[in-house]
Amino acid sequence: MKLTRRDFVKSNAAAAAAVAAGVSLPAIQVANAATADGMDADGIRWDKIACRFCGTGCSVLVGTKGGKMVASQGDPDAPVNKGLNCIKGYFLPKILYGEDRLTQPLLRKKGGKFAKDGKFEPVSWDEAFDVMAEHWKVALKKDMEKNAGQPVDKMTSSVGMFGSGQWTVWEGYAASKLMKAGFRSNNLDPNARHCMASAVGAFMRAFGIDEPMGCYDDLEHADAFVLWGANMAEMHPILWSRLTDTRLTKKDCEVHVLSTYEHRCFELADNGMVFHPQSDLAIANYIANYIIQNKAYNQDFIGKHVNFTQTATDIGYGLRPDHPLEKAAKNAGKGALSKISFEEYAASVAPYTLEKAAEMSGVPAKDLERLAKLYADPNKKVTSYWTMGMNQHTRGVWINGLVYNIHLLMGKISEPGNSPFSLTGQPSACGTAREVGTFCHRLPADLVVANPAHRKFSEQVWKLPEGTLNGKVGYHAVLMHRMLKDSKMNTFWVMCNNNMQAAANLNEESYPGWRNPANFITVSDPYPTVSAMAADLILPTAMWAEKEGAYGNAERRTQFWRQQVKAPGESKSDLWQLMEFAKRFNMEEVWPAELLDKAPEYKGKTLFDILYTNDQVNKFAVQEVKDSQGNVYDNDEMADFGFYPQKGLFEEYRMFNSADNIIKKGHEMAPFDAYHTARGLRWPVIDGKETLWRFREGYDPHVAKGEGVKFYGKPDGKANIISAPFEPAAESPDKEFDLWLCTGRVLEHWHSGSMTNRVPELHRAVPDAVVFMHRNDAKKRKLRDGQMAKLQTRRGELVARVETRGRNRPPEGLVFIPWFDASRLVNKLTLDATDPLSKETDYKKCAVKVIKA
Amino acid sequence: MNICSAIVHAKPEVAGIVQASLEEFAGVQVHGGAEQGKLIVTLEGEGDDALADTMAKFNDVSGVINTVMIYHYCGDEPADMEVMK
Repeated sequence: MKLTRRDFVKSNAAAAAAVAAGVSLPAIQVANAATADGMDADGIRWDKIACRFCGTGCSVLVGTKGGKMVASQGDPDAPVNKGLNCIKGYFLPKILYGEDRLTQPLLRKKGGKFAKDGKFEPVSWDEAFDVMAEHWKVALKKDMEKNAGQPVDKMTSSVGMFGSGQWTVWEGYAASKLMKAGFRSNNLDPNARHCMASAVGAFMRAFGIDEPMGCYDDLEHADAFVLWGANMAEMHPILWSRLTDTRLTKKDCEVHVLSTYEHRCFELADNGMVFHPQSDLAIANYIANYIIQNKAYNQDFIGKHVNFTQTATDIGYGLRPDHPLEKAAKNAGKGALSKISFEEYAASVAPYTLEKAAEMSGVPAKDLERLAKLYADPNKKVTSYWTMGMNQHTRGVWINGLVYNIHLLMGKISEPGNSPFSLTGQPSACGTAREVGTFCHRLPADLVVANPAHRKFSEQVWKLPEGTLNGKVGYHAVLMHRMLKDSKMNTFWVMCNNNMQAAANLNEESYPGWRNPANFITVSDPYPTVSAMAADLILPTAMWAEKEGAYGNAERRTQFWRQQVKAPGESKSDLWQLMEFAKRFNMEEVWPAELLDKAPEYKGKTLFDILYTNDQVNKFAVQEVKDSQGNVYDNDEMADFGFYPQKGLFEEYRMFNSADNIIKKGHEMAPFDAYHTARGLRWPVIDGKETLWRFREGYDPHVAKGEGVKFYGKPDGKANIISAPFEPAAESPDKEFDLWLCTGRVLEHWHSGSMTNRVPELHRAVPDAVVFMHRNDAKKRKLRDGQMAKLQTRRGELVARVETRGRNRPPEGLVFIPWFDASRLVNKLTLDATDPLSKETDYKKCAVKVIKA
Repeated sequence: MNICSAIVHAKPEVAGIVQASLEEFAGVQVHGGAEQGKLIVTLEGEGDDALADTMAKFNDVSGVINTVMIYHYCGDEPADMEVMK
């Protein structure tokens, strides 16, 4: 038999797919092209790496040849994706090789000097950091004068940093240390604020500890799935594929999908429900009411493991305090919980009858009842999934909580298949933003800046004199842009995200804030994004596979990878940039004399010395990084600093979550080296063993024998059911702006498209953002498919092509537009209304007018 | 030479029809899996663009629930080179 190269590769490709699908293809000759470690016959070096994109956390095998990444394959040994890969993951190697990759620092200059209104010119790293540090020193000096004699919980700061759920774990940790310990500023927030803050708020309120209790294994254990505001088919395609598998192979398995418009998940849905925006609050309360009215609740479970509480209501919309909506709110920003009885809780949901919920939501009563019956059936294991539909919501913390209420009433939680599961948008929103604590109110491992005991513990780990850490909560993401505009924050460093494109209300807040002459803005990015172009200084960044990294995914899985290739030109990783920048500051320039007097040995040293050569971070000597096959990998940061910074930072971080004296148990992690061999481990990791389901005896080592279920994040071991009513959206359609505007993502592009738009294939597949609308809405406006329409809100306008037959099919009254397209900045339209509790923006609801362009 | 493989999910009752629709695309071959609703598909094309365009179109085929990629190979050597006799 003759076999060509084509036949050979094709049979390899088909065989890999068949193995991943569990389908047998007798005719195929199986040849294993890629092994987990080591080289293949083509001289390609294969190694595992966590995917750069969504929060699923797939492991991918990447093939490197001649210092360049040339191939990729779903990792067959990965428990998350079992050899599967989505279209974004498939093109992963190409994100490194966009034509407009930045390779040297660029500074706005005029006449050879920095000028806010100058043009970008290439500069050396030295010049870049000199100019940047000069501006930061001015701001820090002003802060020190202002804070003289103030107690730590009254300290203010005019420096700030906006980071990312795409930072590696140690980059987030190094940044947190630089800002909070070094610059004594809590003005550090991640872009995860835009995506996961509501989920975090709800976890803390209900369970006292962050992140889901279940894991992806629920995908095979559940009897039914309910999607609440998640388009998994496009945003989490690999999880969707596992879910699809269960639906198609398990008898009587059902899929229920709730959304404000029809999307690709409806193809599989047994019960697809399109509801009016914001009425999810009413639907969730109706289900709780149904469970109570039918006495279906699990009396034993709620008796032992649940407290009933009521949240403060009429809490406003997180707008500027002088906004009429804030002035009108009785309890603006209030999140206090008061204890109530079961009967009071029952009475609070009683108004949400089936008729009422159907009327408010527009969903047929029989569909809502079918959903309620599913949750109320004690013999059906139900897993609920949600993402931005519930998080980007002015009542995001509430609606997350209302879904926990349903699961808690039934006791359908913390066991295989019974799982309320908040999906994550970014690869390390959990691992870096949440666990490391790069939020303006947080310290590592769920500790918070406002708690003196937490600050004291952190000061001890970081070897800081007592009273170093700032006790006042800093500026959150949305507030940062307002404070830049108001000249209250004057230096701003943006890393690993594209916030000029991502933040809501670009015209009124973001752009004026960044271009305010009082401010100096630095953006670190591999590409000239909208944000980079709006900055004063651009620092070229080594990305993903060009450095050693670690991400933490949505199921608490921490995954490591080795540096695969070198970064182009003079690009340097965020980790290098953070640590190197610290060398520019003498302690006398950042800390007042009184504080330095408490640690006289720090006098005359640099911030780099105190933070990163403290005998902890620099504890591990330079070593060869090798895989099990003996292949050797670069580690450019180790070479530059003369120690193993990734290892030192991770091991210091473990002092917050795994040492004997930690304040909050439940986040334990394995030693650094363990992760380089494992396909990730789900915390808490105790004695080398990961935890799949938390809070339940037999699965979670923190729950002792005989305790059954224990929500140990709360002092009394009980979770909170939190009553919260329906309250309207911040801005609803009216006579003039007569449609709902909903924004979101599409499969082919990752968020703002900074990386995916550089992959020609992905850009070609979906080059321009289109506005999805109902045919009747188009007709009423004399618009036809393919014509250009103008979208106007109270804040701005843009033009986009009309699509009435695409993959997203909105009902009449709502239009949907994706936000990846830098030539159509959707955030000129959106309102910066946030959940007052989580400070997360509601990108899903504002009022828009659509006319012929 | 540019070859990739994918699993295309479809409800088993319509998988046969989906298979026929997929095979109408140039360079597409379905190797099996219809009974389980998991079609094992390879795509072959000259440029990456053509492959990506085809894959993007899979999801618009009626009855397709999901497409996942598995393997991608992109090499400069001629596809007809004999490697075994």
